[in-house]
Amino acid sequence: MRREPPWLADWLLRVSLPGERRDVIRGDLIEEFFEGGATPAARRRFWRHALSVAMRYRGRSRPGAAPTLDRSGGATMLESIAYDARYAVRSLRKRPGFVAVVLATLALGIGASTAIFSIFHGIVVKPLPFDDADRLVFARELDGGEGSSFAWPNYLDFKARAQSYERLAASQANSFTLTGVSQPRRVDGRLVTWDFFDVLRVRPQRGRSFTDADDRAGATPVALISDRFWRHELNADPGVLGRSVRMTELTFTVVGVLPPGFRYMRTEDFFVPIGLTITKDSGWLDRGNHFGLYAVGRLNAGVTVEQAHAEAQRIAADLAREYPNTNSGNGARVVLLKDRLINAVRETVVALMGAVGFLLLLACVNVSNLLIARGAARQHELAIRAALGGGRWRLVRQLLVESLMLSLAGGVLGLALAFWLVRGLVALAPPDIPRLDEISMNTASVFFGIGAALASGIVFGAFPAFQVSSQRQGHVLAGTTRTGRAFAPNRTRRVLMAAEVAIALVLLTGCGLMARTMMRLNAVDPGFRADSLLTGRLSLTGPAWTAERRRTFYGELLRRVSALPGVERAALTLSLPIEGSQWGSVFVVRDKPVPPRAELPSAAFVPVSTGYFDTMGIRLLRGRTFGPQETATSQRVTVVNESLAHRLWPGEDPIGKQLKQGWPETPEDQSPWREVIGVVADVKLEGVDQETPMQAFVPIHHDPARSVALVVRTTTDPASLISSVQAAVLSLDKDLPFSRPRTMTALMGEAISRQRLSATVLAMFALVAVLVAGVGLYGVIAHDVAERTRETGLRMALGAERGAVLRLFVRQGLVTAAIGAAAGLAAAVALSRWMQALLFDVTATDPLTYAAVVALLLGVSGVACYVPARRATRIDPLLALRTD
Amino acid sequence: MTQPPVGELEQLVLLSILRLGSEAYGSRVARELEREAGRHLSRGALYTTLDRLETKGFVRWKTQAGGAERKGLPLRVYSVTARGIAAVRTAHRLLNRMWSGLEDVLGEQR
Repeated sequence: MRREPPWLADWLLRVSLPGERRDVIRGDLIEEFFEGGATPAARRRFWRHALSVAMRYRGRSRPGAAPTLDRSGGATMLESIAYDARYAVRSLRKRPGFVAVVLATLALGIGASTAIFSIFHGIVVKPLPFDDADRLVFARELDGGEGSSFAWPNYLDFKARAQSYERLAASQANSFTLTGVSQPRRVDGRLVTWDFFDVLRVRPQRGRSFTDADDRAGATPVALISDRFWRHELNADPGVLGRSVRMTELTFTVVGVLPPGFRYMRTEDFFVPIGLTITKDSGWLDRGNHFGLYAVGRLNAGVTVEQAHAEAQRIAADLAREYPNTNSGNGARVVLLKDRLINAVRETVVALMGAVGFLLLLACVNVSNLLIARGAARQHELAIRAALGGGRWRLVRQLLVESLMLSLAGGVLGLALAFWLVRGLVALAPPDIPRLDEISMNTASVFFGIGAALASGIVFGAFPAFQVSSQRQGHVLAGTTRTGRAFAPNRTRRVLMAAEVAIALVLLTGCGLMARTMMRLNAVDPGFRADSLLTGRLSLTGPAWTAERRRTFYGELLRRVSALPGVERAALTLSLPIEGSQWGSVFVVRDKPVPPRAELPSAAFVPVSTGYFDTMGIRLLRGRTFGPQETATSQRVTVVNESLAHRLWPGEDPIGKQLKQGWPETPEDQSPWREVIGVVADVKLEGVDQETPMQAFVPIHHDPARSVALVVRTTTDPASLISSVQAAVLSLDKDLPFSRPRTMTALMGEAISRQRLSATVLAMFALVAVLVAGVGLYGVIAHDVAERTRETGLRMALGAERGAVLRLFVRQGLVTAAIGAAAGLAAAVALSRWMQALLFDVTATDPLTYAAVVALLLGVSGVACYVPARRATRIDPLLALRTD
Repeated sequence: MTQPPVGELEQLVLLSILRLGSEAYGSRVARELEREAGRHLSRGALYTTLDRLETKGFVRWKTQAGGAERKGLPLRVYSVTARGIAAVRTAHRLLNRMWSGLEDVLGEQR
């Protein structure tokens, strides 16, 4: 295939050279290009020559000749557009105020849109940073339709039977305690199968990845560390390979360092083979145990994710038949890895993109309005231009060039604004938003910004261009526009104004709904007293921490912490409210028939220390809470929450009833029957906006968990006690960190930070929208007043009262606003569906919000009309009659 | 005879056109200049020089159809007019007149 000369350079020649010369010169250069063998060197020469010629001719028919206005004189396209551009600059320079307002409006609109687009692109559009990331899938089991993790034996069977994957690995998110350092710390990490990194196609920057031999019980414990861990904990030691790292559980040998920026689901520093923990008595080998293991796979070529999903469901059904005791009612789900990651935020981001589209539209409509107003002021100038040459189309092109120049300038400013906005929004965003670190202003954002600018230029420019150019030039020149109605841009302006009000109403509605959501979220009764509570976590893992030792430790810890100054009381619990736990367990009730396996109820079994309910401020509704009666050998008891009591024993007194954690056939020595001794109020366990699950509290004395949260009720500011509590913990065991110390209020704030971010962004948009619409309405009325000065003067001279004149203008303005509001209301209702995902406890068509928003907008509109209308009343009729 | 003066570059271009005869079009003139006179001229300067020469009446051109190697685009073959030849001759004579008497200074070392 013949190579062609560079089309861009050829195009440049075509637009910059006039007439016959164009073809001759092109021909010469093309001939030389082919003579030169069409090599890259020949291409470069072609470019050089083309640029040199284009520079010399620069759209002039003869170098040095003055450019002409008309098309027929051999002027090139480039030449006349350049002329238009120069003319536009000259005319815009005369009105700096107008230009400033237009640029500001456009910069705001384009800047905000580009910023939100960058976020949308970074989170939803960009592929994950892995090779062929669209072939990576995430697989999990389903338990009666609800998502659940894999049981290890099930995973092995899936792996063996599935044909869809090139490779299927699995992992469990976990954390370790780094010891042997001055400040022991929790390190987030992951237990992985040996082929995990092979699935992701990630190769360590140093050392090696795991092999099959590493991934079995009894193998030498090895680990892969993150780049961050290597640099911060090990000082980027070049001899890191083979170094030992001591975690409480085991001492690991580092065999590799992962590349910088590697991230799977969350930021983690320490990866070890999962085989090390899969021992006979670990519980992993039991098909009924699901310990948070999830699979990640790379699809075979040609296999779709839907096919893999269907296959997984078939395999799950087969396993359910083969192992009815453990697997009945189980299914499986396979989704793209990216979808798993961004699911939680996808709807929010898409809704924000919608809002942004509206803001951009509003900016365009507003600028269009401004341009029409200015066009009206330039009637004479434009009429003369039109008469002198080229006719209507030439004028339209001139105005379009002007719009495009304005919009590109606004676009450049907008891109600068977007840069800062993106940085600000990323800094404000809650840290658990997926892919937050992949959001930036990049090439895609710049293309979007420029595209938005160009599109805006055409959208807001075309309208006034046709509008203004359609005047009857003769009338204008002859000055017969005294009646002000030779053309009626004011009607067009009113329509545009109504559109602006409509758009502002839609944005304001979104904002109002979010505001109510925030109010609702803050008003949720969490079920406990959240003020003055300090929380933190402790982890007692490893064989050294026997149950007895843990029991003693907890007792001593509570004694020491309670004795600290500023502490009212302290307690321990497996899971903190709001932060939540996924630990659910099926259970059986003694006095009721055992339902089929798939329908067994499930509750969160939470070991707590004796003073827990008092420390947390959770209300006791019936019976009693734990006390000194609960010793190592006493009858096993439990305190249940209201939800459990109502669900299991509706209308009955639950005190004295018995339940047992686990399957019906689980022997009693593993899981004893517990007597219900009390009922407490429901507590929000998994986030402020989530339903309360059933909870059964058991004394930690009987079930000393390995990982607990310490809660401390303080008499002073809880944050001030962090260091003394930490010291108390360290005094008991120097290798034990008190991790993630936070006040309860901070924890609750974090839980709703996502909604707060949406609310903030929407509030920002709504404010801008109302401002823009208000200023726009003001402008329209002011223009109206100015234009109808003569008419007003006439009215007043004929006896109209000032008050009546005022009411006239205000009424006209409000009618426009009301029409806009009605249209906006209809649009908001139509779009309400997409808002629903963002809201909490508020319907997207909540009448109260809508009414408030309409009232607000009409109020603002009223003010915006009143101010300029008042000016009308101060017109001196005599002066008015004389003006022209 | 009053003639508009011919600059050095313009002289070289005219001479190149004369040397090339029927092959005297854009790219060939540039190549001739480079090869024989060692003068590298930017393409833009070349074409504008040709335009200038035309304005002064020293060259004229004829359009020819081009072949496939130019994608069928036309060709402009330049030729020097009588005025042009006269101008070159005048310039040459002028130079000779200024040279005379200076052979020992300007002449080659033997």
